[in-house]
Amino acid sequence: MTRTTNTSSSAGAAAQAAAPIVSLGRRRFLRHALLGSAAVLAVAGGGFAWLRRSPVDQLPVPETIRHLSDAEYHLLHRAAQVLLPVAGSALVPLSQVPVVANIDHMVGLLPAHIRKQVGMGLTLFDNAAVIAGWHGRRFVDLDDAAAVDYFDRWASGNSIQRALSTLVKRFVYIAYWRDPVTWEAVEFDGPVSERWGLAYLGNAPLPQEQGEERA
Amino acid sequence: MRIINVPREGVPVFTAEDVRRDPAMGRRVNVKTEVVVVGSGAGGAMVAYELAKAGRQVLVLESGRYYPSARFTEHLGDTMTQVYREQGSQFNSTADVLFPEGQCIGGSTVIGAGVMQRPPDSLLQRWANELSLPQFAPATVASVFAEVGREQFVHLNEAHEINATAHKVIKGCEKMGFSWKPVARNVRQCALTGHCLAGCLSDRKMSSLVTYLPWAAAYGARLFADCHVSRVLLRGGRAVGVEAVVRDPQTGAEVSRMRVDAEVVVVAGGAMQTPLLLQRSQIPDSSGQIGRNMAVQPFVQVLAQYEEPLYGFRGALVGVEIDEFMESDGYMFFSALAEPEQLMVQGEQAAGAEHIEFMKRYRHLAGLNAFALDEGRGTVSWEGDLETGRKVISWNPSQAEFDKLKHGAALAARVFFAAGAKRVHMPSFRPLHVDSVFELDHTLDQISHGLKGMYSLRINSFSAHGTCRMGTDRFQSVANPQGEVHDVKGLFLADASLLPEPIPAAPHWTVQVMAKQVARNILASASGLFLDGNA
Ligand SMILES: Cc1cc2nc3c(=O)[nH]c(=O)nc-3n(C[C@H](O)[C@H](O)[C@H](O)COP(=O)(O)OP(=O)(O)OC[C@H]3O[C@@H](n4cnc5c(N)ncnc54)[C@H](O)[C@@H]3O)c2cc1C
Repeated sequence: MTRTTNTSSSAGAAAQAAAPIVSLGRRRFLRHALLGSAAVLAVAGGGFAWLRRSPVDQLPVPETIRHLSDAEYHLLHRAAQVLLPVAGSALVPLSQVPVVANIDHMVGLLPAHIRKQVGMGLTLFDNAAVIAGWHGRRFVDLDDAAAVDYFDRWASGNSIQRALSTLVKRFVYIAYWRDPVTWEAVEFDGPVSERWGLAYLGNAPLPQEQGEERA
Repeated sequence: MRIINVPREGVPVFTAEDVRRDPAMGRRVNVKTEVVVVGSGAGGAMVAYELAKAGRQVLVLESGRYYPSARFTEHLGDTMTQVYREQGSQFNSTADVLFPEGQCIGGSTVIGAGVMQRPPDSLLQRWANELSLPQFAPATVASVFAEVGREQFVHLNEAHEINATAHKVIKGCEKMGFSWKPVARNVRQCALTGHCLAGCLSDRKMSSLVTYLPWAAAYGARLFADCHVSRVLLRGGRAVGVEAVVRDPQTGAEVSRMRVDAEVVVVAGGAMQTPLLLQRSQIPDSSGQIGRNMAVQPFVQVLAQYEEPLYGFRGALVGVEIDEFMESDGYMFFSALAEPEQLMVQGEQAAGAEHIEFMKRYRHLAGLNAFALDEGRGTVSWEGDLETGRKVISWNPSQAEFDKLKHGAALAARVFFAAGAKRVHMPSFRPLHVDSVFELDHTLDQISHGLKGMYSLRINSFSAHGTCRMGTDRFQSVANPQGEVHDVKGLFLADASLLPEPIPAAPHWTVQVMAKQVARNILASASGLFLDGNA
């Protein structure tokens, strides 16, 4: 079975990562804009088959992935490669951190309505590259430089673009950096009390009142 | 002589599991008590302690779970999931301003940074004179601050509690000629783990979990966790108890419904939940101020990179404050650097190689949180019916508030550059950094208020207050100077919602002082409040 990071605490991480999409869902005009953008893409991309095919779609998805769709898996897998070019640095390689498996787990903990919005957001992020910036290709098919450029443009784009690029970045970065194996490389100590053998002080003493004794 | 037994560790708490297991309790529980306290955070715990100590029968109902310190893992993600409200993702209605809050036995004190600050005397004097709240006159309230301070080992940080991040702030202040000082914290023998926001595993932070709650329990107060109060019950203009739902903290499934009959109801659910409870309970609101006037004490985090490694995440989380601008402009600055996962949430990250460079230099980072005094224009409201409605938190910065925050960020950046920073990361949604103080203004120009100040600066609020403000005028305020809700006998408030105005100080200490005063007011009016009216 694939390892995932610290699963007991993933619900909080999932909620934090999904927050940008929740914001779009809450703001009615943006929600409509989100749907509107999807519709524009649908037309631009040729009706219902607006999801441009990609060679990536044929690649296998690990059986352990339970909550992400195949397309979401490939998008996040590609996003992790682009966002975390750790090769040649002291940072822990992606092969040792189950980033996408962690995201899969987090996504599984989201309430259904937010899960749905996250799916919509990821699909839009992937497919908008077909026309945004006239890449003519989905995000998963962009080369590294174009993919980073895509993130950068969206980070300073309109509200929807900012929210969606933040969504993808947050999922990937949180999924990576919350894994304790990544900390040593940046010399973050993580939990220390046990390692340092700290004494447990227990409850503070009761303030002394006259005529009373603390037992 | 009375002998009082304080447990060495932990607090005796009834949980949903206990209710489920106890055949005598069943699906409906009725309880009678003299005082029911809603919420076990800074305010609620203090009231419970004071009233139980005075011999009153006290029942505390807390919607969050009981999470004993021994279960803390020093992993912020775990704590967020277990004890932060909505797993640390409580946002305003546009979801760009984060409002974290504790939801557990001990409330936000469990996850606080331990900073204890008194509002400036000039403000307290004004409240006494202009708002007719004489209990805040500095000469009167000083002894209560001192008492609360003693109870919790409040002390100014000593040299070993000032870490490398803080030293950069000190150096910058010295160069700029800004006044700074070590912060005061409520910590006993701080072990310098830096994990305050994840809960203090070895019980050194004097949260309510290890102070007022075990003390209250030692005096006989009973505590229920997993118990969400849905409504305050009124009869004939008087509070007569509350209704609550006990839920399994893992699944959220309802375990039992509880009705508590009480002679006095004290609501201390915090600045966001208290007004919601009053609204759900349809408490008379002749002032129309319930849930209004919310001061959010917004802050932004400015990060700086230095040539040399600092390990600024080690040591006491908060070391020093810059107090130069507190009285004149309402700015507060606290040194602090978040752990990696939290950095990903708090600040916008660049993509790819730039992010890798940033994290490779994590140990070279220093952080400074710049807080600004806001206008107290936020609102909290309950929309819809009791069962299916939802809360709405509304606050976005006005142009003036936005400009203040931006100015605060600029001051923080200047302090860091004065201390030799090579790069400063601006607290904006768009990743922006500055490599020299001369570029600062130009970069700041790129951060504009735009549409309602949304998604521009990255703003957090840890210390909302003032949503049920105290005052003498029942058409302008929610509670009277004793803390009792105008027009509802026996219903008292004792939390951050009571603060009469936005304060330029971390509020924890003031909230506890107000709660102590409210408890003493209750005792002083015992004859009109309790069937057994002895004071
Ligand atoms: C991460 C963080 C760090 C902070 N650091 C500092 C600091 O360093 N210094 C400082 O001065 N301040 C700090 N604060 C703010 C400070 O903790 C609060 O101002 C203070 O705790 C407010 O006290 P309170 O009693 O109003 O609310 P809280 O302490 O939040 O307690 C309210 C309690 O009521 C419970 N409750 C709410 N509604 C209901 C209901 N309907 N039924 C039952 N229970 C209910 C909640 O679950 C909660 O446990 C920090 C806050 C946060 C979130």
